[in-house]
Amino acid sequence: MNELFAAMYESLFGVYNANYLEIFTTLFDFGGYLRLGFLFIGLPLLFWLLFYYLWKYPYGRFLHWLVWLLASAVTVLVATWLVADHAIFDSGNQALADALGDAESGYKAYAEELPMRYALINAGLSLAVGFMASLVMKQFSRIQMHLPF
Amino acid sequence: MAQKLYIFGIGGTGSRVIKALTMLFAAGCRLENGFDTVVPVIIDPDTGNGDLSRTKDILRLYQQVRNQVDHPDDFFGQEVKTIHELADHSAGINPDFFQFRLNGVDGNSFRKYIGFEELGDNPEAGEDDRNFIRLLWSEANLDADISVGFKGNPHMGSVVLNQFTSSDDFIRFGQTFSPGDAIFIINSIFGGTGAAGFPLLLKNLRGNSEIPHRVHVKDAPIGGITYLPYFALNRQDEINSESFEEKAKIALDYYNRTIIGQNRINALYLIGNRGNTNVIPYAVGGKEQKNNAHFLELAGALAVLDFCKNRDLHGVSGGKAVNGTRVKEYGIENETETITFGDLNLDDVKKLSGPLTKYRLFTGYLEKGLPRALGVSRWTRSNIRLVPLSNNSVLDRSYFSSVEYNLQVKAFNALFDEWIREMGENKPSFIPFREMTADTALNLVRNSAPKGNLSFRALDVWNCRLIARDDLRAPVGMKHSTLIRLFGLSTEKVLTKKELIIR
Repeated sequence: MNELFAAMYESLFGVYNANYLEIFTTLFDFGGYLRLGFLFIGLPLLFWLLFYYLWKYPYGRFLHWLVWLLASAVTVLVATWLVADHAIFDSGNQALADALGDAESGYKAYAEELPMRYALINAGLSLAVGFMASLVMKQFSRIQMHLPF
Repeated sequence: MAQKLYIFGIGGTGSRVIKALTMLFAAGCRLENGFDTVVPVIIDPDTGNGDLSRTKDILRLYQQVRNQVDHPDDFFGQEVKTIHELADHSAGINPDFFQFRLNGVDGNSFRKYIGFEELGDNPEAGEDDRNFIRLLWSEANLDADISVGFKGNPHMGSVVLNQFTSSDDFIRFGQTFSPGDAIFIINSIFGGTGAAGFPLLLKNLRGNSEIPHRVHVKDAPIGGITYLPYFALNRQDEINSESFEEKAKIALDYYNRTIIGQNRINALYLIGNRGNTNVIPYAVGGKEQKNNAHFLELAGALAVLDFCKNRDLHGVSGGKAVNGTRVKEYGIENETETITFGDLNLDDVKKLSGPLTKYRLFTGYLEKGLPRALGVSRWTRSNIRLVPLSNNSVLDRSYFSSVEYNLQVKAFNALFDEWIREMGENKPSFIPFREMTADTALNLVRNSAPKGNLSFRALDVWNCRLIARDDLRAPVGMKHSTLIRLFGLSTEKVLTKKELIIR
């Protein structure tokens, strides 16, 4: 999974720069990609589980579904930013810490952009995952089966 | 074995008790001991009587709704048929078939009906006969229009009603009667039609040799409820309510000698309200006679349930009750002018609380809760995509705007609510429910204080949960099946959770 997520972020979304290899090595070696991947999958699943199976509101409309979708995306965005920031700046990898501490290396300036890039990517992915999850979950929901349509 | 209960409702009181019983059946009450079909028969010469018309309407609507429910086992569970339907094996609904037709009463005076002017073979003998007749009936009696009933004169009614045993309807009744069937008679003792009709009918059931299947009819269990005065009139005229009590005493004495004393009936229920303060507008009959529903009519309906429940005690041999006539009086636990469930005997509460509360919640929901859910809640949506077709509901906007829904279910429910409201406005009032609003719907039972969310939301949640059940799917032609069966289940779930049903 770690490789899959790494390939996705680095190759598919192009969040990679060989000049700052230590960052991406750290994310790969210390499970950062895995955590980021689980965020855009796990959080939407949790959100839609709540929506379809625990939310006992019989008057749900499309607007409710849309708000829920956006809420899950925002949550993923914030959570991803926090996780990515922690994974980079508090990684426990001394080599990366040294690089970040070296003002002339440019690591810090580059690294500071990364959490938001991951956050935006994950938020977008969560929309897609959430939409697909809702199509599956609505089949088994007894109260919100009619949402999104 | 399938058994039928024939219920003869005589006069206005008979109609009103049959109405109350029909409401209980709609709410889910059932007869015990295998009585799967009820055959109401209204005997009333006053065809235009408001009470009669309303009861026939209610019976018609009941049948129309029930006929479109697949295997109803809660709301509308009890089958109700006319003698015509049984005799002709037809499914056509005609409310007039609930009424026994009396010949020669339309627009006739009593004088004309008995052939007063044609009496005697010659003028002299004829005058003697007429004078004899004058000893029995006053000029006012003779001139009375009998098409509006007998205006509190049973001695007129006993003559006119004696003919119904030779009618086609009575023959059909005999033809459809089977071993195991039973009969229940409802009458009031203080009026004209009911007081006269009850002994006559009983006499014919126990001894008329012309009736088909007379052996079965003669030895059938027969119960009856006799109403003692429970209302007064706001003015005294041809009908004088001040004489009700005296008439009741005289008639009771007669019943005691001829019916109870001779064990002609298995169970006789007596019900009334002595010292009642219930004054209703004066009406001799016709469409003006449309009395508000009264709690005692509901109690009378309970007598029918009780009679069937105790079927095993009602053996008959040679036209006589082998265990003698059981006489029962009705009473409530607390003497009060505003009766609620808590004032009733526990057995009665157990019978009434669940069905009435469930049906009241059902009618209240359709009136005040449905607008919020319609087209929004999953159980009202027929256009849900990417799910199996069976998950779409038939109870969508087109159902709730259909002619059948509006002219049958909605019309019946309006009459149910009217019935409940009228009982609450009468004296003593039966007022088990609070006014219902969308936000406090589950706070509907008086003297109870459920906690939590009291809106219709829980009902909508249960409707959503239940709507896709296989057994709620409506077969073709059973248009009301899903609605009636769904709410039978969902109201039960919601009210049980809130502990609003006394069991």
